[in-house]
Amino acid sequence: MPEVLARHRIRSLATTLAVALTLTLAAVAGCDNRREPPLPSVLDKLRESHIDGQAKIKIGVATTEPLMGELRNGTHTGFDVEIARYVASSLGFEGDQRIEWVSLATEDRIPALQGGTVDLVVSSFSITEEREKLVSFAGPYFVTTQEVMVPKRLRDRVRTIEDLRRPELKICTSGGSTTEAELEKHQVRAYVVKEVGDCVRGIREGRYDAVSSDETILAGFLSQYPTEFEIVDMPFGTSELLGIGVPIGDPALRDLVAFFLQKSYLEGRDGISSPWLTAYNRTLGPWLKADKSQPQPLNVPKLVDFDDKAPRR
Amino acid sequence: MTAPATLPDTVAPARPAPPPADPAERRARASQSFWTAVVGVPAVFSVLRLGVEAGGELQTTLLLVANVGTVNLLAGFLTTAAALLSTALVAVFALGAVLRVSVDRMSSGMRRPLFARWVDSTPAWFAVASFLLALATWPLLYLPLLLPAFVAAFQLSPERLHEQRVPRLFLLGAGFAGYLWLLGPTLLDAGRQGEVLAVVLLVVPPVLALFVTGPLPAAVIRPLASITEAAVLAMLVWAALPVISTPVLPLTVTTVESAPGVTEDVRGHVVTVDDVDVVLLQERGGVRYLPVDQVRAQVLCPSEDELPRRQLRVRDFHVEDSLLEGLGRRVRPVHRIDAACRTVD
Repeated sequence: MPEVLARHRIRSLATTLAVALTLTLAAVAGCDNRREPPLPSVLDKLRESHIDGQAKIKIGVATTEPLMGELRNGTHTGFDVEIARYVASSLGFEGDQRIEWVSLATEDRIPALQGGTVDLVVSSFSITEEREKLVSFAGPYFVTTQEVMVPKRLRDRVRTIEDLRRPELKICTSGGSTTEAELEKHQVRAYVVKEVGDCVRGIREGRYDAVSSDETILAGFLSQYPTEFEIVDMPFGTSELLGIGVPIGDPALRDLVAFFLQKSYLEGRDGISSPWLTAYNRTLGPWLKADKSQPQPLNVPKLVDFDDKAPRR
Repeated sequence: MTAPATLPDTVAPARPAPPPADPAERRARASQSFWTAVVGVPAVFSVLRLGVEAGGELQTTLLLVANVGTVNLLAGFLTTAAALLSTALVAVFALGAVLRVSVDRMSSGMRRPLFARWVDSTPAWFAVASFLLALATWPLLYLPLLLPAFVAAFQLSPERLHEQRVPRLFLLGAGFAGYLWLLGPTLLDAGRQGEVLAVVLLVVPPVLALFVTGPLPAAVIRPLASITEAAVLAMLVWAALPVISTPVLPLTVTTVESAPGVTEDVRGHVVTVDDVDVVLLQERGGVRYLPVDQVRAQVLCPSEDELPRRQLRVRDFHVEDSLLEGLGRRVRPVHRIDAACRTVD
C-alpha cells in the first residue's frame, strides 16, 4: 500500500513538473515570438547607406568596351551594364529612368568613387590590394585572365611573353589598369593610352602591334572585328577578380551589393537561371573560349530579406 | 466577461440564502460566458484595430468603417489573429482539462476553477477544431508545444497506447525516433547556429507530453488555477497589441504622375478605388486621394514585421512559417520583392 501511495506521489509530482515546464516553455515561446530579428535586414542596410532617399543611383561604366560596357545608339549595353542593372534594381532603382549612367575611363574609376561622382563602379574593375586601400569592393562577380590580342598577320610571331619583349613590337595597354602593372612586372615595355579601344584603333591604323588587357575586354573587340584579330593565350599567371567598386566610406552599400551578388550566385548554383547567367549569355558567353560560371563573392554579410522564407527546392 | 456561477445573497442577510444554482444552470451560464468571449473578443478587436489603423483620427476611422465591409474585416482579422485566437483556446482547453481532472479527485465543496467549468461546457468537437486551427496557424517552431497541450486537453496518458509495458515503450520509442528523423537536419543546423532555444522548443515538448496527464497535487491546484487565469488574460492583452496594430489593408507603393514627367511614389494602404480616385491611407499617416488617371503603377509590398528572425528550416519549411503559409509558398514558390518597396519610405 505505501508503495502505491509513493508511486502516486511521484506521478503527481512528475505531472506538476511537466505542466510547469510546458507553461514555462509556452511563455518563453511567446517572448521569443516578439523578439527583434537578430540579424540586420536589407532595409536596415539600405537606410544606413548613402544612397537611401536618392532619386537616382549613379553608376560608373565604360562606354567603349564592347560586350562589357558600351554606349550604342544612346543605350548602355554589355555584361558590366547588365550586372549594374541587376544590382541597381535589387537596391530599389528599377529601370534606366532611375539610373544615372556615368561614363568613366579606366583611370577615372577610383577618383570618381572618391569624389562622389558615382555611387558604384561596374567597369571591369579588378580587385587588388592597392585599390582596396582607396575604395571598397563587392565581389568578385567575374574571374578573368590577362591576355594579348594581335592582328591575324602577327599570330605566328607573338606566342609567348618573351615575344612581347622584342623591341620591334609595339605593345599597347590602358593606363591605370592592372595589365599595365603586370606588363611592367614582366619587363614588357608598353605604350600606355587612355582606353583599350584606343589601342585597337591604333593597331588597325598600324601604330601598334598588339594590345594586352583582360580577356573579357579583348573578347569584346574581337566580337567587333572577328576577321582581323586573334586572342593569344599567354601565361601571365595572375587571374583578375572583377569586383564592383563602392566608396570606402559606405560599408553598408558594399554589404548590400555583395549580398545581391551572392543571391545571384546561389540561384545559379541551384540550377535556376540567375541574373548573372542571363547577363553572361546575352553578352560575353558566345565570345569566350571556355564557358565560365559566376565566382562566389567574398565577405558576404548575413542579411535578412523578405524572401528568406521562400522554398529553396 | 463571466458571471460568477453562484452569488451569496449579501443584500438581505436575515433571509435564508437561496439554494445554490443547480449544475445544469451553472453549466449553461459558463457556456454562455464562454461563447460570449469566443464571439465577442474578435468582434471588439476588429473594430478597435480600425481606429488604430486610422492613426487615431476620427474622420479617417469613419472613412475606413465606411469602406471596409464586415466580411472583409472579419476575414482580415482571422488572417492575422487566427494564431492568437487558437493559442488562447488551446491554453484554456489544456489547462481546463488538467484542472478538471485534478479537482474531480478532490473532496467536493471546492469551487471548480473557471477554465474547468469552460471545458465542462464546451463540446469536444470545438476543442478538436481549436487544436486543428492551431496546427494550421502556429509557426512550425512552436508546433511541438501543441503535443503536450493536446495530450493534457484530452488526458491521453501513455497507458492508452498499449496496456503492456514493453509494446508501449516500443511504440513510444518508434514515435520519438520518427520525430527525431524528421527534425534531425534542423536540430543539427540549429546546433551549428547556436540556437539553443530552438533546439529546446523542438525536443523538450514531446518528452513533457509523456508526463502531463493525471491529477495535480491538491496544494498546487488553487494557485495554478488563479495564476494561469491571470496569465492567459495577460497573454491575450499582451499579444493582442501587435494584432490590433497589424494593418487590415494591403500595403502598396503607388506611382503617380501629377505633371508630365513628374512622378511621385506614395507608400500606403489602399482603402478604396472608384472611377475618380484611389484613396490611400499613407503609411506615415493621413489620407491621399489620387486621381485614377494619374496613377501609373502600383505594387504590393511586404511589411517589415514579416522579416524572419531565424534561418532554420524543417524539411525546407521555414520554422517561422505556419503549415498553411509553408504550403502556400509551395504553390507560389517565387516571391519577388518589387524595387519600389525598397526605396520608398
